[in-house]
Amino acid sequence: MLQLKGRVNSSNVMKALWVLDEIGLEYDREDVGGQFGKNTETPYLALNPNGRIPTIVDGDLVLWESNSIVRYLASKHSMGKLCPSDPGARARCEMWMDWQLTELVQNMVPVFHGLIRKSAEERNTREIEAARDTWSQKWAILNKHLKRNEYVGGANFTMADIPIGPIAYRWYELPIEREEYPDLYRWYKKLCDRSAFKKHIMTGLS
Amino acid sequence: MLKILGRSSSSNVQKVVWLCGELEIPFERIDIGGPFGGNDQPEYLSLNPNGVVPTIDDEGFILWESNSIVRYLAEKHARGTEYWPNDIQKRASAHRWMDWALSILAPRHVPVFQGLIRTPEGDRDMGRISASRDLWAQANKVMDGWLAKNEYLSGENFGVGDIPASPFTYRWFNLPIDKEDFPHLKRWHQEICERPAFQKHVIEIGLQ
Repeated sequence: MLQLKGRVNSSNVMKALWVLDEIGLEYDREDVGGQFGKNTETPYLALNPNGRIPTIVDGDLVLWESNSIVRYLASKHSMGKLCPSDPGARARCEMWMDWQLTELVQNMVPVFHGLIRKSAEERNTREIEAARDTWSQKWAILNKHLKRNEYVGGANFTMADIPIGPIAYRWYELPIEREEYPDLYRWYKKLCDRSAFKKHIMTGLS
Repeated sequence: MLKILGRSSSSNVQKVVWLCGELEIPFERIDIGGPFGGNDQPEYLSLNPNGVVPTIDDEGFILWESNSIVRYLAEKHARGTEYWPNDIQKRASAHRWMDWALSILAPRHVPVFQGLIRTPEGDRDMGRISASRDLWAQANKVMDGWLAKNEYLSGENFGVGDIPASPFTYRWFNLPIDKEDFPHLKRWHQEICERPAFQKHVIEIGLQ
């Protein structure tokens, strides 16, 4: 059976949990990282030398980098659905998955860590505000895209929605100022109707 | 013909033109971004709302995000070769290094490269440059460990998994910074440096 290693409150582990559930694959999960540790110990580092989570073991393949895990599982088990079979449509999905890494997540990190994982004394309010402003500009870009597209990857729910979904949940749940992005919100509410999203992502902020 | 929008000194543009060189894909490149500007203009933003380079126009099909462009072109032009193996696990293993270059390598290299090459000496934040260099070295150590057991980041053969990390590694070996001894990384980098398309699109551009 497929093994997944990583604590459930990591947005990167959430991507893997969500895609596994959408596909309906069974898996064993082990808590690694954060309060559970192990990610800096030799057995885990032998699987993932970065000491980060998640990592999956699927037969002979040990795979890390959460977006690569999502792409691999979607293309292996859900070709034509979560993973579009048309190369152009698939590339447009991958483009938005990369965008989550290059543009979106780095602006979430100071806000989320600052407000949720740091104590009031450790908090750098100016850094949080600056990151929130830039983070919001990235949502404006996605909002515009979603004006013309039901989902990130086009007309249907695909793997392109998965990396961005947990970040959107944090945007809408954090105690921060939020500009109005009607198309982003419409898309987000549709994610909230999915049982796998409810189960793995709408679990509070920690 | 394939159009690539973006200046040749961008490591992200270099990934795409280098792949085109390897696969002998004809292309036309248009200078955008950096000293050439244009990336903040409505015409470009209508193609790529992020205002960064590169963007491709492949007979009307628009795509941005350099790693996705590399995978798209590799699949289109080299399906079944080492650039796009039929084995889905081999592909996933190579592609993880492309994500890794985005998530780990690029953000650690940026303050060092921008600080030393694109910032006037008096304006440099040496503390930040030094801290980022240390983190960058840790990332290089991860590659060195992998390359001790694998010929390439992509596996047994050179492939798309090697492309995103290579322009950064070229910068690592050519920037005036402290360097730990990473023998496997060095061996791999020397092999990359022997590839004519890498010489043309990365080495000849140099650090700018």
